[in-house]
Amino acid sequence: MAVPDRDLAEFRSTVGDWCRANVPKDWRRAQAGAPEEQFVAFQKAWFQELRQVGWAVPHWPAEWGGGMSVAEQIVLYQELAANDAPRLVLAFVAIHHAASTLLVAGTDEQRRCHLPAILDGELWVQGFSEPDAGSDLASLRTTGRREGDVFVVNGQKLWSSGAAHADWCLLLVRTDPGAPKREGISYFLMDMRTPGIDVRPIRNANGESHFCEMFLDDVVIPVSGLVGPEHGGWRVAQETLSAERGMTMLELSERLGRAGFTWLLEACRVRGPSGDRLLDDPVVADRLAAFEIEVAGLRSLCRRVVERHEAGASAPAEASIAKLLYSELLQRVMDFATEVVGLEAHTQLTKPLSSGWESGAWMLDYIGSYEWTIPGGTSEIQRTIIGERGLGLPREPAAR
Amino acid sequence: MNIELSDEAEEYGRQARRALGSAGGDRLAQQAEADPHARGALVDPVFEALGAWELDPRAGSEELEAGAALCRSAGWWALAYPVAERLCRPRDLDVDGLVVIGPGPPAAPVGGLRMAWAAVSLDGWRAVCAASPLRGPVRKSGYVVGLEVGSFERGGQGDVALGLVLPCWTLLGMLDRAMSLTRAHIAAREQFGQPLAAFQGVQFQLTDAEVERLGFEALATHALWSIEAGRADAVDDALALRLAAIEAADTVFRVCHQLHGAIGFCDETTLSWVSRASVPLRRLPLNLAGTGAALTRRLGRRGLSGLFGPNDEPSPTLPALRPERR
Repeated sequence: MAVPDRDLAEFRSTVGDWCRANVPKDWRRAQAGAPEEQFVAFQKAWFQELRQVGWAVPHWPAEWGGGMSVAEQIVLYQELAANDAPRLVLAFVAIHHAASTLLVAGTDEQRRCHLPAILDGELWVQGFSEPDAGSDLASLRTTGRREGDVFVVNGQKLWSSGAAHADWCLLLVRTDPGAPKREGISYFLMDMRTPGIDVRPIRNANGESHFCEMFLDDVVIPVSGLVGPEHGGWRVAQETLSAERGMTMLELSERLGRAGFTWLLEACRVRGPSGDRLLDDPVVADRLAAFEIEVAGLRSLCRRVVERHEAGASAPAEASIAKLLYSELLQRVMDFATEVVGLEAHTQLTKPLSSGWESGAWMLDYIGSYEWTIPGGTSEIQRTIIGERGLGLPREPAAR
Repeated sequence: MNIELSDEAEEYGRQARRALGSAGGDRLAQQAEADPHARGALVDPVFEALGAWELDPRAGSEELEAGAALCRSAGWWALAYPVAERLCRPRDLDVDGLVVIGPGPPAAPVGGLRMAWAAVSLDGWRAVCAASPLRGPVRKSGYVVGLEVGSFERGGQGDVALGLVLPCWTLLGMLDRAMSLTRAHIAAREQFGQPLAAFQGVQFQLTDAEVERLGFEALATHALWSIEAGRADAVDDALALRLAAIEAADTVFRVCHQLHGAIGFCDETTLSWVSRASVPLRRLPLNLAGTGAALTRRLGRRGLSGLFGPNDEPSPTLPALRPERR
């Protein structure tokens, strides 16, 4: 759907004006080191603010509360980033992964039950990875035994971001142990209130506990919780994972370009005790210029990915290239920020929750950025995809 | 010239590693984090038994090399204790250790120890200083505290190279450990029906990291030799080492974290502790850009003389250590 440039410009100024009036001025200060409950309450309130103006789920179909054109979504994410609006980090899995799974593979009843609930604040977590099934997700071992109208599930899930706050879980379970590994998996919607679920937060190198492990002990899931056919969950999971690519990458690249990198520039403009600015150092200026070029390239690439996807002309490995470029560039920019900001970066020991991957607490951002080359397909997996699907190279011999 | 550590120094390093292992090994860093003010008491008996503080790296090559080997072993265990900084203590000041400070606000990972310190700037100005109290959780601060510095005086020219080089040996021990942990991890961890180590893409990443680590090790021995030989460009060599050390650490920890996957960011893995402990050493007293700039300012267009350069005679301005073996 083509949107005239004039309308886009008008939309841009509408979003900008709204942000200036509605983004809480002191949210960064309030969210720095905020207790978990305060973070959750803030995220839910902010979600509702965006929902009221129709910007919480712009990528959903119109009948479910979205319907924004891709061109407008690009403008929306650019403006939210440029105006430093809080990110919807808590609802991320709900509005992207859960929604895209339900829209593509869910039943009408599942859609009617959950899509409006997500708009009302229902939170989701992804129960995919396991201790022995990371990159090799299809080797997962959590079992689901069918007993009449229910499945009884046992096993362990790992790296389930936000499990501590989630109401529902997207769960992959092996329901046919005898079948080849990709053909014995079923996809479930699991109510997190079901008895037998034990969620334990895992503290990461930053001291945060956003990801969790989940122990499932005789958890009973009704057959109505199946998404797609029994044992046909692997293909459904591909839909869920494809939600991580495309518009979410565009949003992240805009955050990096219009928020993170802008603050880095600001930090370099500050005069030190001797009156010098870091910007006046030619080495610093050089590095910044090189990063600016890379960030511009990343933003263009992400834009092309979503535009071509909309046009039905996606290239097979473009999304992998965008993720690889973003994650490795983020790490290098954060590393440089930690370097140039120096000791001060080490004294900033609380990161404002609700911010993007770059928050201005550079040391913590730097450590946090190292996570990025792992989830959603490690860099090794992305390179394999680019090699095999993008360049048409032979499959890795041992990969089964 | 022989830039390898002596057999005695290597053996001393092995003994130190064993002794620290027997005293708790990886648990030492964890116990220190739980009670940062007890971090000295945790390791004092081991260093006592090793005679660590009787070592005087300024007294000659044997003790200098033994000190370097000790630092490397401390790094292996990610020991939360400034071993290198204590070994660098100047004999003419009543202090417990010495740290090199950069042009920014003086700071070092010496919090929570109740010790007196000397600080030396890159151009050899020296001052007695006191460490500020620890602030916030040490898992985030890395024991880094600001230093309250007294008045600076000339006289620290002989301290700079030593103060830069020995902490690099600690960092080298951390890289040794990170590589060893990752090698074990990829050999044990199976995905797609085979160990990660069987994937050539994984092997090549680890080999690239190993090349970095080995280059760093070679420069570490060279910079140590440069101090022993009393060379005029010992500080240049030390800065070049520091530059290589930071670059190698960036590569090694990036690869090791990547190959560990998400578990490497959790304290259930030793890598998480080692990598966290490495951060202050990589950032202070000078980060990558700062080290490069300092080296460039000193060298101008001259370049390093290296092992076989024209300037490798002992300096007339710096007291040569007794270069018995060299």
